[in-house]
Amino acid sequence: MFDKIEVFKMAHAMARHAGSRHAVVAQNMANSDTPGYKAQDIADFQTHLAQTTAQPGRGFDMRATRAAHLNMSQTAGNPAGTPAVFDREGAIADPNGNTVSLETEMVHGVNAKRQHDRAMAIYQSSMTILRSSIGRR
Amino acid sequence: MSEFSNSLSVISSALQAQSQRLRHLSENIANADTPGYRRKTISFHTAMSGAETPGVVETGRVRLDQSDLSQIYDPTHPMADETGNYDGSNVNLMIELSDAREAQRSYEANLRMFEQTRQMGRSLFDLLRR
Repeated sequence: MFDKIEVFKMAHAMARHAGSRHAVVAQNMANSDTPGYKAQDIADFQTHLAQTTAQPGRGFDMRATRAAHLNMSQTAGNPAGTPAVFDREGAIADPNGNTVSLETEMVHGVNAKRQHDRAMAIYQSSMTILRSSIGRR
Repeated sequence: MSEFSNSLSVISSALQAQSQRLRHLSENIANADTPGYRRKTISFHTAMSGAETPGVVETGRVRLDQSDLSQIYDPTHPMADETGNYDGSNVNLMIELSDAREAQRSYEANLRMFEQTRQMGRSLFDLLRR
């Protein structure tokens, strides 16, 4: 029932994206001493959202249930699936061919965590609104 | 949640690999004065498709460094040859120590990552609580 509500969908997608990104960062971090390993990354949430909502049928146009309804411009999207993993560009390789920089990974990891926290906060506050609307505090 | 458990298993494989590296380093340091000892090295590689979780770190075979052993001049030593030299080890303490520092740094970074993943998972569970 709740998955039909846009804000939950959005928060869900955001948290999932943060999880995938964190997994990629963890893999980079784990392989920071593996010779020849190339640092990987996925597109950030904004880009991923723009890409998936650009596909027809994915965008969140307001649903026209009657012929008389006006089709409003799209407001939010439902990014499905996990974004593709690619090698991070512009990374400088160590003598052993490894392109992981621990500092960069740290920053990316913290960013992913903050994105996840943000998504959780959105979910939680929407939950509070929902609860108060059904008469509970 | 599977993303989190994937990251946790990748991170724990890295922790294992780094601690194994540290163990061989300490063996090398301990045997720095053992005559004829060759330093041990291990290699890291990424397990790709075959493994349960792609991206985990695996350690390769232990290899012995085949570089020349150091020659120590001590005619009174029981192992000394006719020139008065005997084979020492090929351990360079400076290399071992800096390698150990690097292993420690990677270990700590992975530990931080583990903690971060755990926090993210916990905040997810907090949604159920109220």
